[in-house]
Amino acid sequence: MLINAVVIILREVLEASLIMGVLLALSQLNLVSKSWCIKGLSLGGVLAVFYAANLTIISAVHGGVGQEIVNAGLYIFIFIFVLTIIYSLRDKQKSNVTVAAMFACVVLAVVREGSEIIVYIQGFSTINELFAPVLIGSSIGTGIGLSIGVFVYYLIVNLPVLYGLRLGFFVLVFIASGMVSQAIQMLLQADLLTSQLPVWNTSEIVSEQSFVGEILFAMIGYEATPTLVQVVLYAFSILLTSFMAINSIRCIQRRGLS
Amino acid sequence: MKNRSILQVLFLGLLWGSLISPVSATPVFEIEIRNHLFSPSELSIPVGTKVKLLIKNADPSAEEFESYELNREKVIPGNSTGVIFIGPLNKGVYPFFGEFFPKTAQGNIHVD
Repeated sequence: MLINAVVIILREVLEASLIMGVLLALSQLNLVSKSWCIKGLSLGGVLAVFYAANLTIISAVHGGVGQEIVNAGLYIFIFIFVLTIIYSLRDKQKSNVTVAAMFACVVLAVVREGSEIIVYIQGFSTINELFAPVLIGSSIGTGIGLSIGVFVYYLIVNLPVLYGLRLGFFVLVFIASGMVSQAIQMLLQADLLTSQLPVWNTSEIVSEQSFVGEILFAMIGYEATPTLVQVVLYAFSILLTSFMAINSIRCIQRRGLS
Repeated sequence: MKNRSILQVLFLGLLWGSLISPVSATPVFEIEIRNHLFSPSELSIPVGTKVKLLIKNADPSAEEFESYELNREKVIPGNSTGVIFIGPLNKGVYPFFGEFFPKTAQGNIHVD
């Protein structure tokens, strides 16, 4: 049960931790205030408790697919805010917008991942013999997840500025597109988008259950059996975010690297 | 002119209808979670058909219905019922499990 708790919590923490690590590093490189991080974590934590406490009611909404609608909404808004960050970073005058969007991203990511962690741990609170191993496993999972975020942060800020900037934007492009893919997945699961047969199956090459598959899922939103809608919208969001990221890097270069 | 706008409305309606599929014709299958076990743990559904799964969690603790093969993942709080749409699917066996109690909560969906 301990190992299982490590894996489950690591998966949840990893996504939020990656987003925070990259955004903190981009703030550092662009000399933007990092005050959003603690504020975002706090508000996200409170809202995650609220979401977890009301999950049964929320799930029952709209014929039993309320959870999917809320989650798809969270993913779509994270995508929109990441786009905002990519755009606003190009202009020093827009640093207020950047800070606000980073704050919003962290709040939403923590609500999404935090609520699942709360529901998971809460479920074991009544099972005495499993509660301790679950808590220990969860702590280890949180530790590993946060360490990866910290590693990404230091990797980006310690590279030469231009390379750090490029890597930061590169990771953001994939995080944003992964959000689109997950939002579509939720809408398919809720039957709000018509399901289709998958266009390919790469689970023989990289299984989603494997360690590499999990890391790829957190970083680029890897799906072994995507549907056509997912592939098309994923490709579109990669193109859109890459185009915006390249433009922003050029603008930052032109105005002079800090 | 009026006929044309009626046709346009009809066309848009059809287009919308094809995007947002009707719920009424979807077959429903029930799975219960009790003592961290799925019942039935083996379920057969038809090929190429969209299906609505009603997953009733009779345990007090939450469970997460998860399947990599089906691309589905949903937390079902304790003592509640979750809805998941799956399919249309090709012929095959699609394993699923409860992520919170993966040792006991296991099952397969047979598409045939």
